[in-house]
Amino acid sequence: MKKRIIFLMLVCSFFVRANAQDDLLGDLVKEDASKVKQNITTATFKSSRIINFTSVEMTGKGNLQFMISHRFGQMWKEGKGWSNVAQLFGLNSGFANTYMSFDYSFTDWLNLGLATTGNAQFESWAKFKILKQQTGQKNVPISLAFYSLMHADASEGPSPDDLTWNRFSYLNQLLIARKFSESFSLQLIPSMVHYNYVPYGINNTNNIFNIAIGGRMKLTSKTAITFEYSRQLNGYKNLLDESASAVNYVPDVVSLGYDWDTGGHIFQFFLSSASSATNIGQLSANQNDLKVGNFSLGFNLNRSYGIKKLVQVH
Amino acid sequence: MKKITLLVTLLFIILSNIVVAQTYKTRDANIFFNPNKDQSHKDYASVSKEGTAVLKVETNEVALLVPMKTFHFNNALLEEHFNENYLHTNKFPNATFKGKLIGFNKDQLAKDGTYTMSSEGQVSLHGVTQNFKAPVKLVVKGKSATFTCNFKIRADQYAIDIPALVKPKLSDETPIDANIVFQLN
Repeated sequence: MKKRIIFLMLVCSFFVRANAQDDLLGDLVKEDASKVKQNITTATFKSSRIINFTSVEMTGKGNLQFMISHRFGQMWKEGKGWSNVAQLFGLNSGFANTYMSFDYSFTDWLNLGLATTGNAQFESWAKFKILKQQTGQKNVPISLAFYSLMHADASEGPSPDDLTWNRFSYLNQLLIARKFSESFSLQLIPSMVHYNYVPYGINNTNNIFNIAIGGRMKLTSKTAITFEYSRQLNGYKNLLDESASAVNYVPDVVSLGYDWDTGGHIFQFFLSSASSATNIGQLSANQNDLKVGNFSLGFNLNRSYGIKKLVQVH
Repeated sequence: MKKITLLVTLLFIILSNIVVAQTYKTRDANIFFNPNKDQSHKDYASVSKEGTAVLKVETNEVALLVPMKTFHFNNALLEEHFNENYLHTNKFPNATFKGKLIGFNKDQLAKDGTYTMSSEGQVSLHGVTQNFKAPVKLVVKGKSATFTCNFKIRADQYAIDIPALVKPKLSDETPIDANIVFQLN
């Protein structure tokens, strides 16, 4: 009997030794793998803009972003012939719209921005992140953000006696995005532009509705091709401008772009059929027909700075 | 008699397990790195405080696992680059270390003091496994044992591509500080 006990003890001790040699790291990996992880999708787009329109991406929490963007003249003006070449396809045409903005994210769901452009135009916005695309315990198929912008026209204008309220217009957009794969993302943007003041004309209205779609296809980890198409749904017929001549707005805006992430800055070069620098102008007052020559070159350049030290580094 | 045999065996299993399987574990191991050439410049520095580490006292074995997505940066864009362009953290979610502490023995844990030793093993990062050796400092104070290891790795050893534009700002070898505190009981 004693022999039997000793034998059993030996067996046991062998078993224990074998157990002791179990892989420590293997246990950690197993434990890590068994945890249900919430995978929050990041970098649906490279920048806070797709091309013209804002993307669902927001400047990181505690980060200040500076953006400067240019839109040059039309590439090819009919009847101008070689002077189009001399003007370097609009780059040197003596016409450019500049848009400069600062925006800051107080939390990871709120971004506030200020911008200035063109002839004494000012804009400010608030962007709210409502949903983040994610998988895991909770599955959310899309990212959703709400973008609300106020535009003030501080230019002298035809009549300085105009009511102050007439100088304001607004833009509200829903940004609905999905990152389908590592390289492909799409965004749907229903939007509404509201003017406090509308000129005379057929179909004139305070509210102009648009639907836009934008997308990105990554080429490499640092470069991508982007596109945008927007369609105005109402209000683009025979408006009368200040000099009482009829203006026909064009309901479609098409843009094609190239994103380049240099590591610190993000450059976005693009061709767009809208030459206005503001979203309100692009969505509601675009006069460029969809012809190749009407496209204009432009770029966005942005850089963000970590202002608030969220991570303590020693 | 059979019952006694069984009891003795069971007791033996339990006892031997207690004695042999003396392990310590922590879930908040700190890993800090600063790839800047100028170490006083901390713009690219990052830290993860969510590493898991185990130490098996009897065999001197150690293991460490750090989920890559727990590395956070002050600049959100850098964090995105770290995950998307450099470490491809969707594909390689964890960094691990597995090895032994050379010069460690369990008596050190029983007495307050500072001890030096070294760790040897394998580091896996970005899908590449490399042999690893570095000095380790152990500070035992009351009920806590703090292991500190400062070491350097080269990005090219782990197939991490640094673009030419960024390279001049970074040091050739990235210093990494690991700080692991075990609560003894």
